[in-house]
Amino acid sequence: MEQFAQALTMLVSTPIVPVAILGLIWGIIGGALPGISASITMALILPLTYTMEPVNAIVLLGSVYIGAEYGGSIPAILIRTPGTNSAAATVIDGYEMKRQGRAGEALGISLWSGVIGSLFGLALLVLLTAPLANVALAFTPMSYFALGILGLSIIASLSGGSLLKGMIAATAGVMIATVGSDPISGLGRFTFGLPELIAGIKPILIMVGLFAVSELMRQSGSKGLDSTIPEVVRIKLPNFKMMRKIGKAQGIGCVVGTFEGLMPGGGGSIAAFLSYNEAKRWSRYRHEFGRGSPEGIAAPEASNNTVASTSLIPLLSFGIPGSNSAAVLLGGLLIHGLQPGPRLFEKNVDVVLGLYMGSFIATMAQLLVGVLILPLCIWLVNRPRPYLAAFILALVLSGTYTINGSTVDLAIVLFTGFVGYLMVLTKFPFLPAILGVVMGPIVESNYRRSLLLSGGDHGIFFEDAIAVGLLIASAVFLVISVVREVREARAAEHEAKTA
Amino acid sequence: MIKDILSGGVVIAVAGLYYLGTGQILHSSLEDAVGADGLPRILAAVLAGLGVLLILRSLLTSRRKTAGEATADNGDYRASLPRALGLLAVAGGYALVAPVIGYLPAIALLIAAVAIYEGMRPSWPLAVTAVGGAVGFWLFFVWLLGVEQPRSIFF
Repeated sequence: MEQFAQALTMLVSTPIVPVAILGLIWGIIGGALPGISASITMALILPLTYTMEPVNAIVLLGSVYIGAEYGGSIPAILIRTPGTNSAAATVIDGYEMKRQGRAGEALGISLWSGVIGSLFGLALLVLLTAPLANVALAFTPMSYFALGILGLSIIASLSGGSLLKGMIAATAGVMIATVGSDPISGLGRFTFGLPELIAGIKPILIMVGLFAVSELMRQSGSKGLDSTIPEVVRIKLPNFKMMRKIGKAQGIGCVVGTFEGLMPGGGGSIAAFLSYNEAKRWSRYRHEFGRGSPEGIAAPEASNNTVASTSLIPLLSFGIPGSNSAAVLLGGLLIHGLQPGPRLFEKNVDVVLGLYMGSFIATMAQLLVGVLILPLCIWLVNRPRPYLAAFILALVLSGTYTINGSTVDLAIVLFTGFVGYLMVLTKFPFLPAILGVVMGPIVESNYRRSLLLSGGDHGIFFEDAIAVGLLIASAVFLVISVVREVREARAAEHEAKTA
Repeated sequence: MIKDILSGGVVIAVAGLYYLGTGQILHSSLEDAVGADGLPRILAAVLAGLGVLLILRSLLTSRRKTAGEATADNGDYRASLPRALGLLAVAGGYALVAPVIGYLPAIALLIAAVAIYEGMRPSWPLAVTAVGGAVGFWLFFVWLLGVEQPRSIFF
């Protein structure tokens, strides 16, 4: 009660309300820019926090994180380009809805689901910080390896009807992830003497290339860009019927986001894919997934917005950042001499309360700010297609350059775009490749750390209860998916024969 | 199905090249039992195996495919490769030119070139849009965000 009163006092005695709203606006804009992830959006504004009060600095960074998670879904839906890594899963049904003339509805579902996810995550952040953080603490390298395997096991349901092609794409993704320094010995791999490759290839480069550049190439290559300008779309927040329809998917997203946020290395992108997969598995409207399903947007958006809050739990409690964005926030704390952990709650409770209050304000303001900014995005979609293509490409190339200030990154994005274009022509799915890029380092580094611990004995993976549970779940996912694909193939063959 | 057979061949070739690349990875006296080249070698073998499976599957299913299905395979993506590559070349041109002439003129040229390539006629409004867009990008990235963009070697 005393802390609640202190938090209310902060609302009037400090400028956290305008700071939170400014951070939210910045986050949405940054997240919506292809090539600029949530962590980059936060990192860009990090220098500005040097001169700020610690409370305001942390509120600003936390609000940017919340805004960027929502902002990433805007280009994912409108131009098939995830603004952030965690919006990649939103592309699947979001862009399909946009193609069906339901862009306003898709954006409304994304916004609403993001707010639900943020509120859910925030409630957990406030109420359960210390107890839930113990889950993450219990994770060993074996558990992380098993977590990575679990992430890769969902490839089957992301393969667009061809498990084999999905596995090829995923393997290629893991191969891309091996470029750079070896995680154990630090030896360079596949760097071709380029210092820019020593740190590896960032997943965002692969995403921008596969989604944005290949899509621009496809639209240019097919019939030229669409000549019909889409009608002006009004933002359509979900009505009660739609809220009921997407409620289960949002719930799944919140639960998955909670656990992924707590597990360092999990992150919003994995949570989004996992929740998409689970929402599809448990949906009554499974056939709609991949064809413009509202649940296909609700689950990943609720999930990655939940992660934005829950990933702060191990960060605040133990100094373990659960994601890149949480790592930037950790940087913001350290700039001001604030050490995360139990002492933070004792000595700097104002910072913790400020973060809670600022995050709540940013989440609630999201409904208004999100609605105000969305028309701008729809206006952008309605520009003449040649101009839109030109500005998207200019934005992609400019945004890509900001990541490392390197023309090598531009070459990677363009080459990946070319590969993505060939993948479209040959019907190889993108998403398993991206999953491979994201999960590859987690799987490899924790697999090898585990073997270092055991002296090379693989039995160590079966001595860890969490790892065993996750590996069993992975096997079950894979078997179910294979059985389903075989059944669908047989059904399709039967239909072809009877037709 | 020809596409899948060709794809399988490309996949096997990529696996082979990647495997050859593992030979360039150095060894350290401090490395673990798996080694820096351990996973890459496994990945190369797995990818090659999957490539072979893709070819075999294509050969097995090609007899069952009807002509109608073959047509449906092409879907909406019956694209013109040269045209798509042209767009890629324009983007590649930007990557080459920007470090020479600088960000502002390069991004203006990129906007104009892509717009023309995609069907706009060269005109004054197009030029104004390209220059205005470039200034907008410069203001946002360089002036507002303070993010480094390619600088000209001349000035």
